[in-house]
Amino acid sequence: MEVCESSKVSLREFGCEQNLLSRPDGSASFVQGDTSVMAGVYGPAEVKVSKEIYDRATLEVLIQPKVGLPTVRERSQEQCIRETCEASLLLSLHPRSSLTLVLQVLHDDGSLLSCFLNAACMALMDAGLPMSCLFCGVTCAINTDGQIITDPTAAQEKESRALMTFAIDCAKRRVLMSSTKGSFSVHELQQCIAVSQKASEKIFQFYRDSVRRRYSKNL
Amino acid sequence: MQVPELLQRVGQVLLPGDEFRLDQEDNISLTEVSRPSRAVCGPGLRRSGARLLVCKSGVLRHKAPNVFWIDSQQKRYVPAKGETVIGIVTAKAGDIFKVDVGGSEQASLSYLAFEGATKRNRPNVQVGDLVFAQFVVANKDMEPELVCMDSSGRANGMGVFGSGGLLFTVSLGLVRRLLSPLSELRSDLEQLFPCELVVGMNGRLWVRSCSVQQTLIVANLLQSSDSMTAPQRKELFRKVQQGAL
Amino acid sequence: MFHFQKENCRPDGRELSEFRTTTLNIGSISTANGSALVKLGNTTIICGIKAELANPTVEAPGKGYIVPNVDLPPLCSSRFRPGPPGEQAQAASQFIADVIESSELIKAEDLCIERGKLCWVLYCDIMCLDYDGNILDACIIALLAALKNTQLPEVTINKETCAPEVNSEKRRGLTIHKHPVGASFCVFDDSILIVDPTAEEESLSTAQLTVVTDEADRLCSLHKPGGTPLSGEKLQECISRATTRQREIQKLIDKVICSVKTEK
Repeated sequence: MEVCESSKVSLREFGCEQNLLSRPDGSASFVQGDTSVMAGVYGPAEVKVSKEIYDRATLEVLIQPKVGLPTVRERSQEQCIRETCEASLLLSLHPRSSLTLVLQVLHDDGSLLSCFLNAACMALMDAGLPMSCLFCGVTCAINTDGQIITDPTAAQEKESRALMTFAIDCAKRRVLMSSTKGSFSVHELQQCIAVSQKASEKIFQFYRDSVRRRYSKNL
Repeated sequence: MQVPELLQRVGQVLLPGDEFRLDQEDNISLTEVSRPSRAVCGPGLRRSGARLLVCKSGVLRHKAPNVFWIDSQQKRYVPAKGETVIGIVTAKAGDIFKVDVGGSEQASLSYLAFEGATKRNRPNVQVGDLVFAQFVVANKDMEPELVCMDSSGRANGMGVFGSGGLLFTVSLGLVRRLLSPLSELRSDLEQLFPCELVVGMNGRLWVRSCSVQQTLIVANLLQSSDSMTAPQRKELFRKVQQGAL
Repeated sequence: MFHFQKENCRPDGRELSEFRTTTLNIGSISTANGSALVKLGNTTIICGIKAELANPTVEAPGKGYIVPNVDLPPLCSSRFRPGPPGEQAQAASQFIADVIESSELIKAEDLCIERGKLCWVLYCDIMCLDYDGNILDACIIALLAALKNTQLPEVTINKETCAPEVNSEKRRGLTIHKHPVGASFCVFDDSILIVDPTAEEESLSTAQLTVVTDEADRLCSLHKPGGTPLSGEKLQECISRATTRQREIQKLIDKVICSVKTEK
């Protein structure tokens, strides 16, 4: 576990641990303030004939909420995460195989989708799957005064007028995924993207530090 | 041209998406006899035009003169040609055995691919047996294929396992550490107990020692040394030696 | 395909930034409170709105609710199988629900009849009859037109029996506060951007993007479920195309509603 202090773009304290589960091929837990998600990756493993794709691996994303069964909301989040992962993974290197990413919510205190994305990226990296780039998730909330809050808590999310989550890639800081709620102007959107891009730099640095820590034993 | 930038980063942790530029000289010079050496990409590195891309997280390693690769810790095995693995025979289908090697697909092993095997003289292999075999075909588009003999037709240590012994799995990183020519882990282990150890590149280890107890101790030691630094491991081995003596 | 796109031209003869012909028919289902049928090229979407009386939830006693549901039956394309809704249908339902909530096209308070006792529930069933890509845009148009077409009977609560009395003679329309309209785009290897993709173009694309704007040029949704990354300039291009599209569609809806009224 480690800590990332916020300075200019304020993010909550981050924590991440890789390879903490023994059964999955890759696993990670990601903590953003009080929001916490656990991710496990299986694969490349044998694929069901009905889901086999002849020129690339089949990726399946499953979200498990803290209580109850997954609902339509989880389905749509699964779709967002799956397509983001598909864009960054080099799936064509493992044709006719299956990858399964399971995301378990441990605690939701806002910015859940971005926490999912960060946990997914760390778990995929831990599994040693070939990736063309890394990605990270950033959630921005615009409150009633028009201020932008990055990485909001559940209470801040509730008060906000608009909520946006972006997935940013590490190469050119471009937007991989976007999911929004509430109405906002074009100018506000561009501000939020710019803020997210700035925040992403911090998250990528955090990724690098935690992976470095992991490999520190066998440097 | 060689890549000094890449050489500087040897021994450091790299992440997917990290990029290096290769200054390529594709025109063959007529005056120079030796061609300028190009960086050779091992696992975890990809070449894309004039760029060298990292696609796995891990430590960058270098081998003279110009081989580079990423040393990553992963658990799932991906078959590679020429690697020796421990497989479990899961089915007999006509002329071939299906072998589980821990990859995404079962590998096939012909009954003729054993030392001295002929159509008349079939090897005695049952479902559930362990085999130590080598990949002759392993690529992403084809079914992987194993053989239990080397290119000269000799068994060379490969074949079906005898009875006894214990099979267990460790991370692929530990296997590579065990197999490296100057492995400290292996020499430490050799000093501890006399034992038979078979190392499959797919993360499976097979141990047999003079007693069941000693076999279990060796298996547990290896599994726990997966997540230990060298001094920690030495300390543990010392304790075990004192206790065992 | 790529050859076509370099020439700023698509297999069906459209330019890259050209929508297919959009046709709209409202009030096509007489048994529903409101309905609309939208054709976007071959893509056909029908939306029916059924209003029912219900008790408001305890958390929001002064609000009614809207329940959208998108159905992609096996009839509309061979890619859908019978059985429970697939991922795409569920994601589309969630998207429509988000658009309704974000755009505030109907205020939930308007659906309340008596605080804490009685309110309207609008079941918006959106069904695809022919799947040829870009269902999200078509769904939003169908939903908006159907809601504009919706007529609710007057309901009063009998003071003595406390039972609701429905007066079917007196009907009134819903107040539509905003007019959100979507524009979908397909990205090919982060260089080429096309608008209103067909099913074939969707399956070949590397990323999809839907921008929903209202008449005040505010964005209600920027939905991009992954795929190849997109630069800021391209995004701006999409948004400005979406705003012009909003004008076109709002004009179309108004025109159709006018023509229906004059017929009567």
